[in-house]
Amino acid sequence: MAASSEPVASGWSARLELGFQVGPGRTVLAHRERRGPLAVQRPFYPEGEVCHVYLLHPPGGVVGGDQLHTEVELAPDSRALLTAPGATKFYRSAGAVASQEQRFHVGDGASLEWLPHENILFPGARVRSQTRVELQGNARLALWEIYCLGRPVIGEAFSEGSLQTGLQLWRDGRPLLLERLRVDAQQRQRGSILAGRAVTATALFSHAGEAELALARDCIAETGPGLAAATLVDDLLLLRYLGDSTEKARALFTQTWAALRPRLFGRPAVAPRIWST
Amino acid sequence: MHIERLPRPPGQPLAMLRLMQLVSPALPIGGFTYSQGLEYAVEAGWVRDPESLRDWLLGLLDDSVAGLDIPVLARLYAACACGDCDAIRNWGDILLASRETFELRQEERQRARALTRLLVDLDFVEARRWREGLELCQAAPFALAASRWGVPLMDACLGYAWSWLENMVAAAIKLVPLGQTDGQRLELVLAEAIPAAVTRGLRLEDDELGGSAPAMALASSLHETQYTRLFRS
Repeated sequence: MAASSEPVASGWSARLELGFQVGPGRTVLAHRERRGPLAVQRPFYPEGEVCHVYLLHPPGGVVGGDQLHTEVELAPDSRALLTAPGATKFYRSAGAVASQEQRFHVGDGASLEWLPHENILFPGARVRSQTRVELQGNARLALWEIYCLGRPVIGEAFSEGSLQTGLQLWRDGRPLLLERLRVDAQQRQRGSILAGRAVTATALFSHAGEAELALARDCIAETGPGLAAATLVDDLLLLRYLGDSTEKARALFTQTWAALRPRLFGRPAVAPRIWST
Repeated sequence: MHIERLPRPPGQPLAMLRLMQLVSPALPIGGFTYSQGLEYAVEAGWVRDPESLRDWLLGLLDDSVAGLDIPVLARLYAACACGDCDAIRNWGDILLASRETFELRQEERQRARALTRLLVDLDFVEARRWREGLELCQAAPFALAASRWGVPLMDACLGYAWSWLENMVAAAIKLVPLGQTDGQRLELVLAEAIPAAVTRGLRLEDDELGGSAPAMALASSLHETQYTRLFRS
């Protein structure tokens, strides 16, 4: 919508491509190509076959005009867990939109866990963020996204700026979940949209059923009334948080992930070490 | 004033009456049994008076109705007009996948099935032939009826949005609760926002359409476990 009328992008154009394949006894990062300030650390294996990778975002944050593009491909039967050492910060823009685009292709029988830190939008930031996951066959997924508008911890509201997010999940060419959130000063305040809250977050888990829904609801009970909820659409468990604390959102999501991982991914939850640093 | 001095294109007056039939609360598709999360929002105190209800509904009108329902309805209308049942199915999939909770998807399917069944009973040949695609979302059989009855697209979109508004206000009158006059007053005010919302929705490109209303999605999810419920969503 806004793209065609925006000033010509003048910031970074960063691109990162990752390709995972099944190697002897474990999943390997077989393809890695980068341009600009998006990078990954060397993969490691805290739990055997699953390949853990940390994505490093541009040092010093993202400004208007920057374009970050990440493309991740998991070959059939591969297993990868991706996270990041810290939040992605989007700074005030003089007009240009900062764009973040993430695409994941997950082959049949593969499993992807994409568990990043939050996106923090400083007041005046203008951001478009798109995440698209394409699952093939029996691919498994755990994913969350956390957006923080302004910095509620220091009482700084997102009094100006805009955010447009797209979250798309497809399986074998059919859509499972399509969300497009448009936030401006007015919609941020509307009771049915963000109700003036600073933090909006969604987690999703494939291959879930009523038992997983019940487990998720147990986790939610500790978050506080009216701030979080779970729902099951077909076999997709959706967990949403709308409040003022990224800490609470992350605590809820990691706790739920820990409760569900043995059931959905067949292995106990090993919290990436970077989360506790 | 003589009516013949105000010429109208042939068919238009009848098309308008057909649209009134299509959006009438008396249409037997169980419309007034859904609140789309409003029942929880009222219990939680998020919606408590005409002003907070107006705010709640304006958010949804600007987001899901203008951003999602209207542009998808327009594409379904075009698909029905040219008999493209693959497109009907694809757009139905997209609208359904854009509903954010179990209850919202269930409501969408129930309404779609009820209206499709009605059109089958009213001898719409295509309703039988395209049944599987039409039963994905309510906008699909709505689009079929509108296009076959010669209702212009803009009018069909206005009627669809109006029908949503009337449904929500009717639910609010029971839930908040509001007086009937308060309800009428709200409909007067909110209807003024509908033409611009529809126009905006009709301008969206394929890769721009979609919606998300996090607070409403939360309310709808929490409605699933609400202790006492009058409404199915």
